[in-house]
Amino acid sequence: MISLNSVIKTFDTVAAVDNITLHVEKGEHFALLGPNGAGKTTVVRMLLGFIKPTAGSILIDTIPASNPVARKGVGYLAEHHMIPSYLSGLDYLRRHASLIGFSGKDARAEVERLLEVVSMEGREKEKSAAYSKGMKQRIGLAAALLGKPKLLILDEPTAGLDPIGIRDVRNVLENLRADNVTVFLNSHLLSEVEKTCRTVAIMNNGKILIKDSLQSIIEKGETLEDVFIKYISDGRRMTDGGGPMEDGRPLR
Amino acid sequence: MRLFLKITGYTIFDQMRHKSFYVLLGLCLIFVLMIRGCYSGQYVVNGKLLDSIAVAWYVSNIVFQVIAAGMFLMVILLSMKIITRDHDDGSLVLFLSRPVFRQQYILGRIAGTWFLCLVFMFILHAAVFLTLWARTGTIIFGYLAASLVCSINLLFIAVLVCFLSLYLPDFISAVFTVGILFIGYISDGGYQILNSQILKAAIPSAVPSSPAVWRIVYPKVYMVQAYAASIIDQGSFYNMGPVNPIVNIIIYIVLITALMLAGFNKKEI
Repeated sequence: MISLNSVIKTFDTVAAVDNITLHVEKGEHFALLGPNGAGKTTVVRMLLGFIKPTAGSILIDTIPASNPVARKGVGYLAEHHMIPSYLSGLDYLRRHASLIGFSGKDARAEVERLLEVVSMEGREKEKSAAYSKGMKQRIGLAAALLGKPKLLILDEPTAGLDPIGIRDVRNVLENLRADNVTVFLNSHLLSEVEKTCRTVAIMNNGKILIKDSLQSIIEKGETLEDVFIKYISDGRRMTDGGGPMEDGRPLR
Repeated sequence: MRLFLKITGYTIFDQMRHKSFYVLLGLCLIFVLMIRGCYSGQYVVNGKLLDSIAVAWYVSNIVFQVIAAGMFLMVILLSMKIITRDHDDGSLVLFLSRPVFRQQYILGRIAGTWFLCLVFMFILHAAVFLTLWARTGTIIFGYLAASLVCSINLLFIAVLVCFLSLYLPDFISAVFTVGILFIGYISDGGYQILNSQILKAAIPSAVPSSPAVWRIVYPKVYMVQAYAASIIDQGSFYNMGPVNPIVNIIIYIVLITALMLAGFNKKEI
């Protein structure tokens, strides 16, 4: 579904993404973890074609990510989701629906369905300027889910959400598993990642340190947080000559 | 094409959501209606009563140019923030996270802004046209056609400002555009004056020298205005160089649009 091959992205002389190769299979719920400045958001921006890689290739369903056609069937939620202040949540969702080809009754039905999913029914006609950060995030999630996407790219989806909102997002992601939707999750909330994703990659300084299933990388008695800290703080596998790993094999 | 038209529609819709748009339109209409007094006044020069229809005719021509120049400012103000405003309020992500080509987005935004300004200008010109008709019974054939000719300048300005705003701060790109227009007005306005009947009558020996090449190829915004004025008064129009000013402006629009699309395609969001 997603394929990053030897991708490098430099800003001036700084390598934000440093020669990473990563594959996410169809239906996989994948989380990209890493500290601030690791390069996670740069990867997401490249996936959406907002920026182009300096070297390497990025494919979504065999189509280059820079081609807008690749974004057919892709839903995206940004970390700090913004909605133009002059639009209501309803206007915003209708606009998204229209851009992906919904019209008339179909658009109305789809928008109403998703307003219910994100618990925003009754508030949808208010201007977004009156929305809290969490409400904007909910509307953003609804926009990402419009048209039943095949791939969902979520950049810190729970940012600004209260515990109930976080639970709702988790439920939404759980339901997507049944529909075989691929999820690319970028998150700091390790406890949430543990609950929602089966595969994770840990990234630091633009490099993937490890990519594997949660089961494989969490040893007995450990939590994902322990594993995360272990990789980030001492970069064990990188410095021990083992190099970055994917599915138990070294990453190239 | 479908997405381009949708984005054009959204642009018009978004601009018209702002109350300031209606306030500006109302103020402009009041200004235009205030000139009604000019059409019914008695003007005496050297003891002779001037023909009120002739006065009304000249006033309408002057107001035509004032409206067109005012619209330049409006289109600059609306175009200079297209990209930065969309970036700041999330509209850019809204469009480009969907299967929308960058060309569709930017061309749709510019087309929407241009169309809105075109209609705005046409309404004001139509108000003058109808006022003159109602007050004096005179119909200036070509007045509304001249308005549409001038609208090509609005498109040139919208494209230019948008292109410059890719590389310069919004305000600087607006000032830069005003500078480009100003130079054109001095160069082409001077040429029109040197060729005018009034100057030739006053100084029969004055022979205008042939203009420099840069003046011939420079964007002919003023010349398009002068050409539109010649449509209104059926008067003479002195073109600079072999290329019609409308063709000159269209060439510039195509060139700048191509550069803008290339630049916007490389822009990191």
